Amino acid sequence: MSKVAFSQESLSEFERIVAQYPERRAAMLPTLYLAEKEFGHISPEVEVYVGELLQVPAIKVREVLTFYTLFASKPRGKLHFQVCRGISCDLRGCTKIIEHLQEKLNLNSEETSADLAYTLSEVECLGACETAPMMQLNDDYHGDLTTETVDLILDEKK
Amino acid sequence: MVKVTIDGIEIEIPKGTTVIQAAEQAGIEIPRYCYHPGLSIVGVCRICLVEIERMPKLQVACYTPATEGMVVHTNTEQVLEARQAVMEFLLVNHPLDCPVCDQAGECWLQNFYMQHALHDSRMFENKVKKSKALQIGPNVMLDSERCILCSRCVRFCDEISKSNELGIFNRGDRAELQPYPGTELDNDYSGNTIDICPVGALTDRDFRFRTRVWYLSETESICPGCSTGCNINVHHNDQRTYKAGGSRVSRLKPRYNPDVNEWWMCDAGRYGFTHVDADSRILAPTRSIGEEQEMSWGEAASEIMTKLREVISVHGKESVGVILSPQMTNEDLFVARRFFRDGLGLKHIDFEVAPLTTGAKDDFLIKADKNPNTAGARLLGVGARQGSGMTVAEMLEAARKRKLRALYICHHDLANGFAVDVVEEALTAQDLVVFQGPNTNSTSALAHYVLPAAAFVEKTGSFTNYAERVQMIHTAVTPLGESKADWQIFRSLAKEAAISVPYFEAEDVFQALTAEVEAFSGLPYAGLAGQGIALRDGQALPESETVVA
Amino acid sequence: MAGKIISKFFDIDGGNTIDVYERHGGYQSIRRVLKKMAPGQVTDEVLKSNLRGLGGAGFPAGRKWSFIPKDSPKPKFLVVNADESEPGTFKDRYIMDRYTHGLFEGIMIASYAIGANKAFIYIRGEYVRQAENLVEQIKCAYDRGYLGKRIFGTNFNLDLVVHRGAGAYICGEETALLESLEGKKGWPRMKPPFPAIEGAFKCPTIVNNVETIAYVPTILQEGGEWFSELGSERNGGLKLYGVSGHVKKPGVYELPMGTSLREIIYEHAGGLQDGRKLKAVVPGGSSAPVLTADEIDVKMDYDSLAKIGSMLGSAGVIVMDDTTDIVRALYVVTRFYHHESCGQCTPCREGTGWAERILKRILDGNGRSVDIDNLLNIAGNIMGNTICPLGDAAALPLKSYLTKFRADFEAAVSDRNGVGKVADEPVSLLN
Ligand SMILES: Cc1cc2nc3c(=O)[nH]c(=O)nc-3n(C[C@H](O)[C@H](O)[C@H](O)COP(=O)(O)O)c2cc1C
Ligand code: SF4
Ligand code: SF4
Ligand code: FES
Repeated sequence: MSKVAFSQESLSEFERIVAQYPERRAAMLPTLYLAEKEFGHISPEVEVYVGELLQVPAIKVREVLTFYTLFASKPRGKLHFQVCRGISCDLRGCTKIIEHLQEKLNLNSEETSADLAYTLSEVECLGACETAPMMQLNDDYHGDLTTETVDLILDEKK
Repeated sequence: MVKVTIDGIEIEIPKGTTVIQAAEQAGIEIPRYCYHPGLSIVGVCRICLVEIERMPKLQVACYTPATEGMVVHTNTEQVLEARQAVMEFLLVNHPLDCPVCDQAGECWLQNFYMQHALHDSRMFENKVKKSKALQIGPNVMLDSERCILCSRCVRFCDEISKSNELGIFNRGDRAELQPYPGTELDNDYSGNTIDICPVGALTDRDFRFRTRVWYLSETESICPGCSTGCNINVHHNDQRTYKAGGSRVSRLKPRYNPDVNEWWMCDAGRYGFTHVDADSRILAPTRSIGEEQEMSWGEAASEIMTKLREVISVHGKESVGVILSPQMTNEDLFVARRFFRDGLGLKHIDFEVAPLTTGAKDDFLIKADKNPNTAGARLLGVGARQGSGMTVAEMLEAARKRKLRALYICHHDLANGFAVDVVEEALTAQDLVVFQGPNTNSTSALAHYVLPAAAFVEKTGSFTNYAERVQMIHTAVTPLGESKADWQIFRSLAKEAAISVPYFEAEDVFQALTAEVEAFSGLPYAGLAGQGIALRDGQALPESETVVA
Repeated sequence: MAGKIISKFFDIDGGNTIDVYERHGGYQSIRRVLKKMAPGQVTDEVLKSNLRGLGGAGFPAGRKWSFIPKDSPKPKFLVVNADESEPGTFKDRYIMDRYTHGLFEGIMIASYAIGANKAFIYIRGEYVRQAENLVEQIKCAYDRGYLGKRIFGTNFNLDLVVHRGAGAYICGEETALLESLEGKKGWPRMKPPFPAIEGAFKCPTIVNNVETIAYVPTILQEGGEWFSELGSERNGGLKLYGVSGHVKKPGVYELPMGTSLREIIYEHAGGLQDGRKLKAVVPGGSSAPVLTADEIDVKMDYDSLAKIGSMLGSAGVIVMDDTTDIVRALYVVTRFYHHESCGQCTPCREGTGWAERILKRILDGNGRSVDIDNLLNIAGNIMGNTICPLGDAAALPLKSYLTKFRADFEAAVSDRNGVGKVADEPVSLLN
């Protein structure tokens, strides 16, 4: 048996999700999202738990978890800066934005600050090339970035 | 049926046959890594690309079904180039550590590489680093850098052993084969992953660095580990002698038999051969009355027969019990029958000993009956249940009460089936106890005479598996010391007793057996090699309710 | 200039809501279809419209629908591909944000045509806000009785589920998408069977791009022929072109199929920044072979671009001016495909990483002249030899950049030759 468990609320959300699919396993990605929301990140215990819920071996959960880039298997910062490094953003100077954030946050790309305040990632094309250079900060897109607008966003979110 | 042409050879094959299988039937081997006939088809390695007329691109032979009129080329420049390219790609991140790799000599990277050699390397780049030499289970070592991600082992664990231990984590060239963290590749069939891994990523922990495969010879045999009788090859190193430089038998590998074990065998069988070169091997006939003393076969046969005749003349034929073994071949048992039953006229002959702890079994290959020849023994009628004599249990009881005065015991460690004191009381109450077998055990320790029998890799003969398929074992290595096949031992004794056992080879015994025993009548000896012959046309019998040890 | 169909909602306040959509004539098409047309007639109309699959491959939508086995007792599924991850592509985001119910209406009609009672929208995980909007608006549609049981009083039932991806470009490939929908890694499947025969959950499934589906209500409203005539030959209707890179007005432009690339760049996207000259343009998402400045009079439709050796793909136009470092551009694009390769097929898994490392080395000043031909050779060895077209998607830019801008690469390797040290001693494979 797993060492973690969903709250009642998440559990009923899980049941609702499962009912949407003809097969239980299809609820894998939504359940991982749900688990990430509840537990912050997806630890091995959570993998096992999700496996139990979906009735698939934990190893299949792990295969999925490590295949996709969005799930956090380690704790991430409160503010997750995902700067797009796709071709359109590159053409419009995302490197400057990345370097600026590295300096401001005192982080290398793909690092999380020790106090779990920030995570900085470089990500592939986010599908908002008309606003290049752009980034995703947690759930929201911010486009037409300059070092100045990045500073404004930072000030506002801090 | 559909007609296809492969490299100019026209063949007819059943509908649904893939190009790779069709080519095989035409005698053309298309290289493959990910394809394994016993597993689902994934078509990922891309080494099997072939040219099919009227198709714009090369197609993978492993997945593409051969259809009527298809014309396939496996050797055009385009095909060879693609193959060479795949080889090159596979080496982009390969550590190229062949000199220290156990797979060297049987590596499919090396093999195909030789055939499609590249002439100069364009590899100036750094390689992706992954973990090396990880013990991932009791039997298996993993070197991730050598893994070509063919997923054969993953599919084996998902589809055959159904134990799901292995996964491929991450993606792209960061993808890495691993067991689930904190767990092991530990299932009853794990060794098969080593066989099917086409490269040196999964290697045998047991075999690691022990020998180079090119020193090994191969002999066809049958696993004696249970009544399934998985077909195997015995890999032996003929330069190594017993106790000098390691074991003569290096490993057992499953041998394809579609009607028995397909491509697989269980770990218990695979690693269960160590007794063959163990210290417990009996090397010479030995008298253990008072001081232990080795003797010649002549002396041993004459002394044993003298004592046996004494017992019979004083106490009658019913005072002797013979315990044969389902570890013995059909030939051994037939000669035993001829000698003990027909020659000496003994009545109490049995072979079945129910083990105290029931053997493990599953619904795949592993049978609870851990003997290769229970069915043969039954068909030969050498059990109490087939005759009218005492069972082994009754014999021990009678022996304790000295109603029996002599016991002739083959192979069995009776302690596996009875309480130690029961065996001890029974055996110590006897005027004569003879033990015959390849290894000493707690029963042989109580015998007056101990005779060395050849191990299964040291003799030729046949076993009858649970489904009554008769299959052959062959001599892979010479018998240790003075040991010889069980039937040859009986022949020596019979000679002393002037009982005719006119056989010189296992084949002679087999011919006599088929002439005399109804169940085996008409079996052609020549047909036994390879895949064996089913007595009842492959009809599997339900596993017998009595389990024998 | 032709009118707008989808994009006319882009500038309307609340264009994503059911009320605004209905006020502008929304949900009339489905009503008519359900009352007056048999499923087969719907498919025929879409066939007539010459609506091509707008997700990249351009396969005629009506033809695809007609592959659904009529007599299969299995449930059928419609899966809307909203993975939108091809670099340079962002049109589907606009549709989901601002033509939400138009998309739903298209989903309803398509589901009716193929006999599906369940549809999924597979949306890339990064589109969090878009997914939220979809979920919210689906709820409104259910509340009105537009989704669920007995839609518009007919016997047609339909459930619509939003399924979020989780960060994997490959899941835009339809069979990888189906694997992902089933809760697995996005490993593309071998074909056949094609999804129309055996797709999601082993059932007949149609996978269509968001934009493809979004044009369906109008086609059924105005007629296939009408739609067809808006576009060019065999490329029906209007199309959303996304323009990014070095232009004054990056954005989404809805124009007739076959509008010239020059017109798109210079008229609609405002041309290049002052004083800059066009160097290169990628016409259809980063996998489309690059065009030089003198190739931009091409008509932007599937057949015309194919004729000059490129492709319309996702119609994501990426414009590069004369300040662009072409070596770096190719490096960035190759890095993407390397990052996104699922890792199943040997050539794609190993070739993309290898090519990226060579390009990085050139960028770092350690190029060698053999690198150019080696890269071309690697591209050739990937091309056509993999399970899914991601391998080709990686190979096509390599081939086209290296061929059309060979001089740039030659300068890069000779400029930098011998400046630095090669990362590793060459490894001989033959010892
Ligand atoms: C690597 C790869 C990525 C793809 N990504 C997308 C995508 O993000 N969105 C999409 O609609 N189609 C994508 N496709 C195309 C789909 O496989 C499929 O052809 C399409 O969804 C069919 O819809 P359509 O006929 O309406 O275009 C991709 C294809 C490949 C090979
Ligand atoms: S370990 Fe061997 S069998 Fe398993 S995926 Fe790697 S190469 Fe294939
Ligand atoms: S071509 Fe690349 S992305 Fe496509 S299946 Fe093969 S490895 Fe995966
Ligand atoms: S053997 Fe056919 S692709 Fe691997």
